[in-house]
Order: sequence, then structure tokens, then C-alpha cells
Amino acid sequence: MTTVTAISQHDERTLRVAWQDGLEKLFDVVSLRKKCPCASCAGGVEVSDTVRPVEVKSVGRYALIIVFDDGHRTGIYSFDNLRQLQ
Amino acid sequence: MSPTKRTVINEKPSTGNKPSGEALAGINHIVAIASGKGGVGKSTTAVNIAYTLANKGLAVGLLDADIFGPSIPRMTARIEPVDYQQQQGTTAVVPPSFGGVKIISIAMFQSKERPNILRGPMAGAVIKQFLSQIQWGKLDYLIIDYPPGTSDIQLTLSQVAKIDGAVLVTTPQDVAVNDVEKAMALFKTTRVAILGIIETMSYFICESCQHRHYPLLSGGGEKLAKQAKVPLLAQIPQETTVALTSDRGIPIVLQYQDSRTSVEYRKAVDQIEIKLAEGKSLDDGFHLVWRR
Repeated sequence: MTTVTAISQHDERTLRVAWQDGLEKLFDVVSLRKKCPCASCAGGVEVSDTVRPVEVKSVGRYALIIVFDDGHRTGIYSFDNLRQLQ
Repeated sequence: MSPTKRTVINEKPSTGNKPSGEALAGINHIVAIASGKGGVGKSTTAVNIAYTLANKGLAVGLLDADIFGPSIPRMTARIEPVDYQQQQGTTAVVPPSFGGVKIISIAMFQSKERPNILRGPMAGAVIKQFLSQIQWGKLDYLIIDYPPGTSDIQLTLSQVAKIDGAVLVTTPQDVAVNDVEKAMALFKTTRVAILGIIETMSYFICESCQHRHYPLLSGGGEKLAKQAKVPLLAQIPQETTVALTSDRGIPIVLQYQDSRTSVEYRKAVDQIEIKLAEGKSLDDGFHLVWRR
């Protein structure tokens, strides 16, 4: 259970997450949208390549949600899952 | 994916805790009192921890999150409420203060005869209102009395409020311990630090022989504490005065400050305070606006 220390926008379509132990990962926001873990998306969704976040917010201490510009906002991405995501 | 300008948000989280939402903004520490099992003395513990903190001169709030079986108003019934005002035209509610502790419970908004029959999402909505529309003001501590179990309400609480730590309550026997393990897993998943274990109904001192008896066996609290690598904060004896004071509506730590129970709760509160003061890994919430 390593704590997340930083969350930032890396570039126009990349989210950066850094953990306390030094691990840093870059996430393509389009593939994050495709892999949305919410109940209605689970199993994969077709999304446009132009989809982008509007904002990224924390959920409690353990996860983040991304509000996408296609209106989707129900995916809770836990830090643990993000750590394991390829 | 060429690296361009980088927006750094929250690069170094401070150790202070700013709960999400304006209603919770003035609260320094939020502590959950939880247990997977019902009837282990969660509410009694929440009430007595709140009043032990208040006895130290701290500003304390107590949120009864047990939507289906709220018992805190009864335990504090004899303490005269003050400051109760619901502002007309706004949705903000100023919590009434009972003997220096601000208290909110669903029981204050319902009639005694009509229990709450709600589906999960509604219960979650009520909890969200408690967290967003109650004007707690400046508090050193907000104590949240969790309902038993690991369901909607518990998840909502962990998601909406920035809980600084949880105190788990158990009785000594195995069946209680097993349920508390589940609650522990919930807090681990939602990254809430477990501050320690309080064992209730630990023993009973017989008035005629003065020996300790263990009607609910012994060792549960210690076992849990070892397993989770957290301290056993207190072992609360079965004292008639605990039930009596709860039923009368004045918490034991207010009425019998020298009782074993009161001393144990003071021990627990001291450790909780120290642990929260150390709280290093606790992070602030963040909000990142995406730039195009």
C-alpha cells in the first residue's frame, strides 16, 4: 500500500501518477477511458480517440475519478489498480 | 506522446488534513468508530471517546452514521441541547450541542415510532447530506459512529469524508473478531489508517469476590491488534454503570470520571491523539483540471 504522492497532467493526453516509493507511471487517457472499471463499462467500451478528461478528482484516499468530455464520470480508478495497469 | 508543459498538482501533500467539501473544511481530524458486527458497543465507544476528547477542552462533533439503528441521541438525551437552529431558506443545518459535543443523528429528523426503511442508495444520500450540509464549524475532532457491516453507507463515508483513521471495536469472542476483520479489510481497501482496537465487555469484576470474570472469553482484541499490527487501545470492562449511564442519557466519562471504563477511554484517546499527530502518510484530496 504505497501512497500516491503526485498526480499531474503530463501532456495533452497523458496522466502522470507518482508513488512514494519512486514509481512513476504515465497513462494514456484514451486507454483509461477504454478500460473504465465502472459497472456499465466493464468488459470494454468503444470510445473516440479524441476523448479527453475534463477533470480528475480524488475519491477518499484510495482512488481517483476522471470526468471525461464524453460525459462519462462513473469510473473509480483505485491507485492499486493503476499501479498494476499495463 | 511528447512531454510538454507539466502541470504539477499536489506534488508534496501536506500532512494537514483538509476534508473534502466546505462543510467539513473546518475539521482537523475525522475518526471512524467501526466494527463489522452489531452490538459490540460501537455507539457507546463513539460517545465516550467524543466526550473524553471534549473533557480535554477540544472542539468535538459526533456523527451518528447508523441510519437504521441510531442510538446516540438516547445515550446523550439528558444533556440539554443548545444552539439548535435550522436556518430558514437554506439547506444548512447547525448541529445541536450536547455538553460541548455537536451531535447529528438521523433520529433527530424522524419520529420515534417510524423506523427508517430505506434502500441502499437512499441511505447513501442521507449520509452525503450529513457530510455536506451540516455546518460543523471549527472542530478538532469529528467522531463518526459507523453502522455495522461493510455496505453502501460505509463505502460512501470512506469516499466522501477524508477519514484520518479508524478505531475498531470488538468484543473478546471469535465470532466478533471475524466480523471486525471484514471491517478492517474495508478500511485497508479505502486507505484509511487503523488507529487501534478497543475491546469492549472484556471482563466483569464480581462485587462479592472482587475477581475478574470473562463471560465472553478473552484475547480477541489482542489477537486482532497483533494481526493488524496496531495497538490494543483499551479494554473496557463490563460495568453496570456503562449501561446505566447510557440508558440515562449521560455518558459514563462525564458522570463517573474515575471509573475503570473512563480511565480506559482516556488511555485510548491519548494514543489516538498521538497517532494522529504523527499522521505522515495522510494526503490531501486533489483536483486537477485538464488542459487542452
